[in-house]
Amino acid sequence: MRILTTFKQETLKLLKKTRAWLGPILVFVLIMIAYPLTVELSSQNLSDAFYPVLFISCLLVMMLATEGIFLEDFEDGSLEQLVITGNSLYQSIIIKIFIYWLFIGIPISILGSLFNVGSGNTMDSSLMLLPPLMITTYIFLILFCFGNALSLTKGSVLGTLITMPLLLPILVILGKLTTAILFNINYFGFLILLFGILSIIIFIFPAIISKIIKTHLE
Amino acid sequence: MEDRLLIQANKLSYKINDNKLFSNFSLSLSAGQAIHIKGSNGSGKSTLLRILGGITEPSKGFVDKKPNINLSYLGHKNALKTYLTVRDNLILLNLKGKREINNLLDLFGLNDRLDIVTGNLSFGQQKKLALIRIFINKSDLILLDEPFVGLDSETQEILSNFLNKKVSEGVGLIFTSHIAANIQANTVSISS
Repeated sequence: MRILTTFKQETLKLLKKTRAWLGPILVFVLIMIAYPLTVELSSQNLSDAFYPVLFISCLLVMMLATEGIFLEDFEDGSLEQLVITGNSLYQSIIIKIFIYWLFIGIPISILGSLFNVGSGNTMDSSLMLLPPLMITTYIFLILFCFGNALSLTKGSVLGTLITMPLLLPILVILGKLTTAILFNINYFGFLILLFGILSIIIFIFPAIISKIIKTHLE
Repeated sequence: MEDRLLIQANKLSYKINDNKLFSNFSLSLSAGQAIHIKGSNGSGKSTLLRILGGITEPSKGFVDKKPNINLSYLGHKNALKTYLTVRDNLILLNLKGKREINNLLDLFGLNDRLDIVTGNLSFGQQKKLALIRIFINKSDLILLDEPFVGLDSETQEILSNFLNKKVSEGVGLIFTSHIAANIQANTVSISS
């Protein structure tokens, strides 16, 4: 029951704050449209170079989306209320991140797959691209939330710097995965690896984030 | 703990770096009692409330609370979303008991402000809304940090009467205030 309430609360908050979710999506669309317009490449090179651009765009957009994800609740006293009323901060953080993924991660994943067709790749490759995009956006979201929690009162630059070393292994796996898609070879090993990482951090990182936020509140 | 005892603070001390705010502070509060914490600026009244609420850890001492106690707290931050309407801010609490909400909105004069964006309300009106949010919760213990600040004298009177009524109904109340309030409470001073 409490989970449902938190879900409704966080959805209402994000839904009413249009710029928080629509802004990152529009930035993503802008990058996807600007990329083929500004790069002088043949259509073959354009489609080959699309995947790295796509994943880096996802990374940047998720970084943008999570900027201030906890700051508002911290500054207006909502987090204090959460702690004092005995509600689970850990549970709230898991739900908050999930809702951000629903509102930003999923639309970006779908749009990314559609732009893939637009850049000259096949529909099959777009369908192959959708699962790694959905998993990757969730991973990026969690990692940037961690960085933001660490630098809650210090600005987002510090948070991004802290998160960078954690992102590098993900980017390496994504590089291998996109090569597999390009050469149309089996990429499920990499996909399972990404899913494995997500299934671990999806519960561990919110616990760490809640501890960090409690420390900030003190 | 006794059956009616809500909270007991034992020899609490708090210091920031080497700056001691207060030391060996003890209090106990039972249901249907109120405590007014007094002290000069910077004496640690707000910190004490945060310690009692469990947000901040004391440097020394400990706080005992009745098991499964329902706490409400209003500090300097009002936990309102300024981009949401008054109605949405109330919805955020997933409130039941609509009649009580309407009664409180009537009491504090916000019943005609439901569809106004909270950021467009005055400071005093925002404070009233924050108080309403606190009072709607079925709390055993209410912790209020300077609840009268920003309120006009008429609303201060309404709030005092309301809090007296809550205390007489068996709710515990601990508050800090520099404004002389007409609340039946034991006064406790805090100093280092």
